Amino acid sequence: MPATQPSSIAPAASDSFWDWSRLLFGLATGLLGGAIQSKILATPITHGALLGGTFGLVFSFSFSRRATSPGAGLIWGLGAALLLWFTTHFGVDLFLLHPVSANAMLSGARSQFPELVADLVCLGMPVGVVIGLRGAFRSKQTQPEFRWDRAVVAGGLAGTIAGLVFSGWEYAGGYLPLLGGLPEFQSQTTAVILHFLVALLIGSIFGILFQRDVRGYGSSMGWGLGFGIFLWFFGPLTVFQMACFQSLDWSAKQGTNLFGSLVGYMIYGFILGTVYAFLDRLWVRLFIQSDPLNREPEGLGSHFLRSVKWGALAGLIGGLISLPVMNATGILPMIAGLDTSFGGIRGSIIHLLVSSAIGMSYGFLFRDEAPSTGLGVPWGFLFGLIWWYVGPLTLLPLILTGAYDWRASAAVALFPSLVGHLIYGGTTAFTFLFLERRYKRWLLLDPRIAAREQRRLRPIGTPAPALWFFALGLGVLLPILLG
Amino acid sequence: MTPSIRKAALGSLAGAAASAPLALSLGRASSSIALAAVIGAIYAVSMRRMPHAYVDNLMTAGALAVPLWGLVSVVVLPLLSGQKPEWQAEEMMAHFPALMGWVLYGSLLGLFIQALSDFAEHLFGPEAENVAPVPQERKRIVILGGGFAGMKTAEHLEQELHLNSSALITLISETNALLFTPMLAEVAGSSLEPSHISAPLRSSLHRTEFIRGRINAIDLENRKVVLASDSPTGELVVPYDHLVLALGSVSNYPGMANVEKLAFNFKSLLDAIRIRNRVIEMFERADRETDASQRAALLGFVIAGGGFAGVELAGALNDFARGILADYPNLSPNELSIVLVHSRDRILPELSESLASYAQKKMEARGVRFRLNARLSDVRPGIVVVSDGEIQARTLVWTAGTAPNPLLKSQSFECDKRGAVKVDPTLAVPGHPGVWALGDCAAVNDCKTGKHCPPTAQFAIREAATVAKNIVAQLRGRQPKNFHFDSLGALCVVGHQTACAELSVPFARNSSVRFSGLLAWLMWRGIYLSKLPGMERKIRVLVDWVIELFFPRDIVQTIDLQQEKP
Ligand SMILES: Cc1cc2nc3c(=O)[nH]c(=O)nc-3n(C[C@H](O)[C@H](O)[C@H](O)COP(=O)(O)OP(=O)(O)OC[C@H]3O[C@@H](n4cnc5c(N)ncnc54)[C@H](O)[C@@H]3O)c2cc1C
Repeated sequence: MPATQPSSIAPAASDSFWDWSRLLFGLATGLLGGAIQSKILATPITHGALLGGTFGLVFSFSFSRRATSPGAGLIWGLGAALLLWFTTHFGVDLFLLHPVSANAMLSGARSQFPELVADLVCLGMPVGVVIGLRGAFRSKQTQPEFRWDRAVVAGGLAGTIAGLVFSGWEYAGGYLPLLGGLPEFQSQTTAVILHFLVALLIGSIFGILFQRDVRGYGSSMGWGLGFGIFLWFFGPLTVFQMACFQSLDWSAKQGTNLFGSLVGYMIYGFILGTVYAFLDRLWVRLFIQSDPLNREPEGLGSHFLRSVKWGALAGLIGGLISLPVMNATGILPMIAGLDTSFGGIRGSIIHLLVSSAIGMSYGFLFRDEAPSTGLGVPWGFLFGLIWWYVGPLTLLPLILTGAYDWRASAAVALFPSLVGHLIYGGTTAFTFLFLERRYKRWLLLDPRIAAREQRRLRPIGTPAPALWFFALGLGVLLPILLG
Repeated sequence: MTPSIRKAALGSLAGAAASAPLALSLGRASSSIALAAVIGAIYAVSMRRMPHAYVDNLMTAGALAVPLWGLVSVVVLPLLSGQKPEWQAEEMMAHFPALMGWVLYGSLLGLFIQALSDFAEHLFGPEAENVAPVPQERKRIVILGGGFAGMKTAEHLEQELHLNSSALITLISETNALLFTPMLAEVAGSSLEPSHISAPLRSSLHRTEFIRGRINAIDLENRKVVLASDSPTGELVVPYDHLVLALGSVSNYPGMANVEKLAFNFKSLLDAIRIRNRVIEMFERADRETDASQRAALLGFVIAGGGFAGVELAGALNDFARGILADYPNLSPNELSIVLVHSRDRILPELSESLASYAQKKMEARGVRFRLNARLSDVRPGIVVVSDGEIQARTLVWTAGTAPNPLLKSQSFECDKRGAVKVDPTLAVPGHPGVWALGDCAAVNDCKTGKHCPPTAQFAIREAATVAKNIVAQLRGRQPKNFHFDSLGALCVVGHQTACAELSVPFARNSSVRFSGLLAWLMWRGIYLSKLPGMERKIRVLVDWVIELFFPRDIVQTIDLQQEKP
């Protein structure tokens, strides 16, 4: 059952050639990336090479056992590059510029935005992918089977469907966020065709990169979101500009201009991840898990219903705890001329009902994703973040007014409710995990179920932590930086 | 040191060590260090043991720091200092340095915790897993019978004992599934698939060992249960410390050997399947039979007993038989007779008189005939002999008498005149420490009212909870509790979308509310569907019911009855 097997950590290197080779690969890619980075940012090449070389070495030394595929390498690489940016620019500031001035630091961060793009695109991505490729070759035997057809078909189909959903919303405005950064097209048809080609390509790459790491709907959604954020840096901010033979503009101002496209990419990634998981899971359900030889002691239906029940309760508790914050901040404070009277008892009841319904989806999407509370709550925060982008920034205004506003200014105005969404996600995940673990602790006395649970749970070593760091870090940081 | 305390200590140490970025960005050194230590402890406790997972912890803790920034810096700290939360966009931007401080603190915390726990593991060995040690001596609780009483006792014991492994639970039963008897009539009437109303014991119970087998004897002296064995090596013996008798009842035919031989039982799933197939078989034979009196006998069905089981079965068979007439154009409705024979002057003695007469009227209107105040005395092929005359019928179903499982009579238990094992108010069998009895095989009296508890599933389920609690109480050296339960009422389906219900009013003993017709039928379906064990079975039954609304009942014969009762 390839889809339900844990993706393993690469075995410890046994021969010294491979041990050295990872450092060499890391160093070479880092040096090259650093050199390109300094060329684009117009900094001394020694500076770029030093930074890139060190990053490559440290990454290949510490992360190579985790980077067991190009996809895993990419996510670990992006997480590490973001951490690099935080540490090199703010770690020093915190210690040296004391007391820290918020304004100075924020404007410093804005001026360092090009370095952020450079770290992600020139260091994190290439070093991660190269080390991941090496890891994939090394751990071929120990990894679950990789199916190209499944990856390309499910990914390509998911990409296209997500593109379809997306263009349905977008077409009216003539704005296709996946093509953000490209100049206006003369012909609408060309734009639409290109939109679908990009969507298909992104979907297939998603399938190829993440087939092994994506285990359920929830993680796939998270991976989609993270991948969407990365693609915004890589596409509109980089490749699209290069395709138009423009000089690369990585400034925060350009980021602010393309903020709508960022939200678009995030939501596209979220839809892509969800549709991909749906297709991939459907395939697994229909052709693998339905096989009596693979039958679990407890039917899939019972498991599903129980998770949804716990999710509803967890969502209700999440809703109750986030209620004061949501009430105080207002969910839709910025949409002019709209009845935003979501306060009072009616508002609270609606909030609780919606919370419980969204909690059900959490139960369905994120069951079996966490072996411990500490590794489960970050999924909840990510879920909360996704709902902030999907809910108040997109769906609510779309439902209520028929239009939405993805400008950075809108995101900034909605900022207060982000805290509420994060609290909601975290509490829902915590409660859900509590209920799940309480039930499982008892169930685990049954050896059949204990063995199954072991197989089903996300194991340690997948790139989930890097994904949380990258997606949560940038999901919260970018509206602040670009707003 | 327990694993959690060790984790918390290491976590707070790591938190304090990683607190510098937090202290620098929040500006309050001592409180920042304290906060960092507390968060470190919580983080460490919430994590599973993961040796050498440096990068995982680095990123996880770094990621968790982002929402913590929102919660602590933006909401909690301003609130604590008596201000409003600072979540307007500009205010949040002013917290930008704190965000950086949090992220760096988180990443360092992850690294330090990993380093400290690896170091501690190196020094003191790995953390013990948080599981209770398996005790040397484990008490063996053996439950006999997998009906409502036995299965529910096992389920309650699993819940009561929870993670405590000081007792082993074993359930022994002749059948490997719990039969949901309230829906048995619908199986006989071909509206439900037989397996849909049975819950497999192996899948429903989690830590109970299940043994399918027939109990031959109970060795009370040596505290052993003896099972019949198919193997030549001899019988299987299961020792016990606590024994639960839940062997139910069997059909009882006082002095009627012919009836015992020729009548169908209506207690098990196989009985219901046989009855359904018998009806179809009789229709098939009648279809090609030219002799009118033979046809009348083939299409005559007698149900003996006007209690719940008999009435529900008569209603279901009447609906089934009259429905499938459409498939047999040679047969006319007038040739068909469904007769209910009952020894008293009214059916359903468990319900009030008005409801019983409502049920009788409804059933008569749908074609069921009644022979009240009539005793069944004998049966011959094609003839059922009743005290007030003979009925032409080839099929007789017996629901008129049951007796507690005869196996118990052969033991040295004190029994009442029906043969049920007498129990004290805690459901323990007097004179036999560690032996308990409940359900249809026990003579249970309510501790408050002193009244005899009827042999129904409703009572068996509640008795099971008491027995389980009392066994656990004894294992833990506590006092057992007495059994008390006020009946919730009774429901009975009498035909298509028609039922009678008499429900007790809570806290008002002896008062009840009565319903009849469609509403009572909907209540019946709702209540029993909710009681049917297992979500999967509920869905299957619901689907069967929906299918029945749109398609005729199935007349496919599933077992060959040619060789069975003539
Ligand atoms: C048709 C019908 C409809 C009913 N409807 C209702 C209703 O609507 N509501 C209600 O409350 N009650 C109803 N009842 C009554 C209810 O079914 C019984 O009261 C209940 O089943 C009693 O449970 P029990 O566990 O004591 O016995 P049972 O359910 O009879 O279980 C006895 C168990 O012991 C096993 N067993 C017996 N002998 C041996 C042996 N020698 N070795 C191994 N195993 C053995 C059997 O296989 C069985 O699993 C109905 C009964 C029938 C027959």
